Amino acid sequence: MVTHYLSLSVILFCLGILGVVSRRNVFIVFMSIELMLNAANLGFVALSRLHVNMDGHVLALMVMAVAAAEAALALAVIILLHKHKGNLDTNIFSLLKG
Amino acid sequence: MTHTVTYLGFIPLLPLAGALVLGLMYLSTCQGKQISERIYGILGCVGPVLSFLMAAKVFFALMSLPAQERFLTHKAFTWFAVGDLNVSMGFLADPLSSLMLLFVTFVGSLIHIYSIGYMAGDKNFGKFFAYLNLFLGSMLILVLGDGPVVMFVGWEGVGLCSYLLISFYSDDPENVVAGNKAFIVNRIGDLGFVLGMAFLFWGIGADGFDYLSLKANAHHLTAPIGLTVCLLLFVGATGKSAQIPLYVWLPDAMAGPTPVSALIHAATMVTAGVYMVARFSFIYAHVPVAGEVVAWIGILTALLAAIFAMFQSDIKKILAYSTVSQLGYMFAGVGVAAYSAGIFHVFTHAFFKALLFLGAGSVILALHHQQNIWKMGGLQSKLPITYWTMLIGGLALAGCPPFAGFISKDEILYSALATGHVGIWAIGVLVAGMTAYYTFRMIFVVFHGSPRDQEAYDHAHESPKVMTIPLLILAAGSLFAGSANIPAIFGGHQRVSHWLAPSLVEHHPHGGLGLEILAIGASILAFVIGISIAYRKFTVKVDEPDYQGLYNFCYHKFYVDELYHWVIVAPYQFAGKAISRVLEPYVTDAPVQASGWLYRMCGLAFKVVQVGYVRIYAVYMVIGLSILSLLVSRSLNF
Amino acid sequence: MLTTYLFFGLALLAVLGALGLIIFKHPMNGAMSFVVTLISLAGLYALLSAKLIFAIQLIVYAGAIMSLIVFIIMFLNIQEKDLPLDPNRWFYVAGGIIVVGPIAGLLINISRTLPATEVTVFDDGFGSVKEVGQLLFTQWLLPFEIVSILLLVALVGAVVLAGKRGVN
Repeated sequence: MVTHYLSLSVILFCLGILGVVSRRNVFIVFMSIELMLNAANLGFVALSRLHVNMDGHVLALMVMAVAAAEAALALAVIILLHKHKGNLDTNIFSLLKG
Repeated sequence: MTHTVTYLGFIPLLPLAGALVLGLMYLSTCQGKQISERIYGILGCVGPVLSFLMAAKVFFALMSLPAQERFLTHKAFTWFAVGDLNVSMGFLADPLSSLMLLFVTFVGSLIHIYSIGYMAGDKNFGKFFAYLNLFLGSMLILVLGDGPVVMFVGWEGVGLCSYLLISFYSDDPENVVAGNKAFIVNRIGDLGFVLGMAFLFWGIGADGFDYLSLKANAHHLTAPIGLTVCLLLFVGATGKSAQIPLYVWLPDAMAGPTPVSALIHAATMVTAGVYMVARFSFIYAHVPVAGEVVAWIGILTALLAAIFAMFQSDIKKILAYSTVSQLGYMFAGVGVAAYSAGIFHVFTHAFFKALLFLGAGSVILALHHQQNIWKMGGLQSKLPITYWTMLIGGLALAGCPPFAGFISKDEILYSALATGHVGIWAIGVLVAGMTAYYTFRMIFVVFHGSPRDQEAYDHAHESPKVMTIPLLILAAGSLFAGSANIPAIFGGHQRVSHWLAPSLVEHHPHGGLGLEILAIGASILAFVIGISIAYRKFTVKVDEPDYQGLYNFCYHKFYVDELYHWVIVAPYQFAGKAISRVLEPYVTDAPVQASGWLYRMCGLAFKVVQVGYVRIYAVYMVIGLSILSLLVSRSLNF
Repeated sequence: MLTTYLFFGLALLAVLGALGLIIFKHPMNGAMSFVVTLISLAGLYALLSAKLIFAIQLIVYAGAIMSLIVFIIMFLNIQEKDLPLDPNRWFYVAGGIIVVGPIAGLLINISRTLPATEVTVFDDGFGSVKEVGQLLFTQWLLPFEIVSILLLVALVGAVVLAGKRGVN
């Protein structure tokens, strides 16, 4: 049943949110974001199957391409972060503190 | 019946464009290497001269039309339209404005040329010409505007330029104060003008707010509104044209360069009030009471200013008070509904007063900026051209027949007499005698006798040609301008009065031959008495008298400036101080401070939320989404 | 029935992998756990007849992107002591579940309103390389080109950011 696939997609997405919220390790945060993107992809493909229309596949491809671009930049930023601070803690970025 | 001609718009546009070009040139070079004065001078004079040529073209175009069709219009664009108020940037050339146009551009061009010589060597040469061009452009908008609103644009424009040019030598704080005084006093008048315009619109403005429409609807104006409009507009005129009680700024305005005094504060801008009253003759003609007020204020101003002029020692101040006095004559003229006589006096006055000021400028320049007449004397041989031209100007001002001033002044006095205003006429004749006295007091002290300051006398020399030629041209104007309106008693045709007739609403009084002879005789007698007293007192070498008693009172101008200071300025200052010390910190500022405090407290409260960690911001976002989901779930009954 | 069993098996693996990602302390363990999720997702794509996506998920995601991440983790040589302490991680997880609960509930409820379509594997061209490729290069040509420019920009950006020298 397509509904099951969509439910799985929602569960994975919520797990991604939990990862972003609860962890301070920048790698885990990054991979949690990837997890959310994958959850969305699963939703696209499942709905594509439901309507027997391949537009969802194309969208999933686009998301993958964007994820690849994001991965390249995010890893570059992580390397910079590690170079500057010698640390992988997201909490050291607190310039916005009021 | 009107005709549309496009070139009308170019007449004010040319000097304005000149002002823009000169101003940009000056701004771009005032820090570094200066552009040569020759370039500034030529560029500065091109606009006015071209405007004069176009004004002449307009004049001849009007001449070729039949008398009742002499209305050329040009509507450049619609400025704004709100409800019934539909104002376009339009221009109107009729006999009245074309006459003003002609002499404004003519005198303006001459003074521009004269300024090349007078301002030579000044470090702000370019700025001066930019301002002067801006002034001429504004003045032409004032004269050519086809309705009160456009006129007001020019009215404010000339006020601005007047301010800028009075405080032109801004190194001296006194000049800046004089500029401020002129500007502020004019604001009082302008308030009257604006209110007058508003009432006029309220009365008859709905069917078009330009002169021709207003004129056609003038008979719909009810008497109370008409009176209000007339008096309020006249308040505006007293500000701009320096009448009682707002005349105090004009003598101080002499702080500006002398060509400015000649152009703005004698020949053109200060006559704007007279022009305005004549322009609105279609309203004033219906409200005789307003005319009475105008005439009496005018003639009393003439008397007061003439008294002051008799005691001044600064050559420019004498001329300034004489200008106020002559403006008083003009208002007396338009007040007794002799609009063409008033305008004709504006016309002739522009020539001889500009001439006198420019001559005074020549004297001042020759003596290295000495303005006190009691430091001059015997300059006749050193400055022959200046002397002879100023003598002509003086004769014209004093009202010596057949010079221009005599004919125009006599026209006003005769009109006053013929309309039954004997009091105005009598004061006018008295003032005519005083005018002759103070004019020749000045000329005799400056040019006759022996030098009072030998060193300055030795260094004095005649001004360059670029200054003397405008003097000669204006002298010719002072001699012959009167011939344009020779009254019938001398075999003339009063061509100016007939020319102006289509623009004005006036009835020429017919007082008969006896009254006319009486008026002329009295004027000539006053002139002769005035000049002979001056001759007896001042052709011998006299030093500045030490004024006592009543004379001292006159010398200090009746202490009017001091009176204004104590009655108006000082209470204002006191009130201002009281407000700034009591009202502001404790009453008006308290809510402001409180609101600031409130926001600061709110900020402190919300500051807690801004922890600075990105993932916490993500939590906020998710919490928001969560609440939204709950709401949606409820509304969808899940 | 086989597809149903396969779905539940793969779904369980995916969720377990995701949980591992959140729970494991060391990023390397998390990454390995995440690879399990990605491969399970590839299997789910196959069950949904998305043949091209299945292949790309395996090659690009589980292959390229994850190996890049693992490579960087190893390149930085992260030790236990480098890792940030997460003293109140479990507090955040518990709070997160409470907050995320309504969102998940809403979305799942919405998905249940969809028609109950049985998922059978198509053996025709649906989701094959040719069909999706035709769609991608005709109807979706402009977004495709824009994405290619985005990738180029990301490439340049990554070089600029990571290639900076001279900063301690």
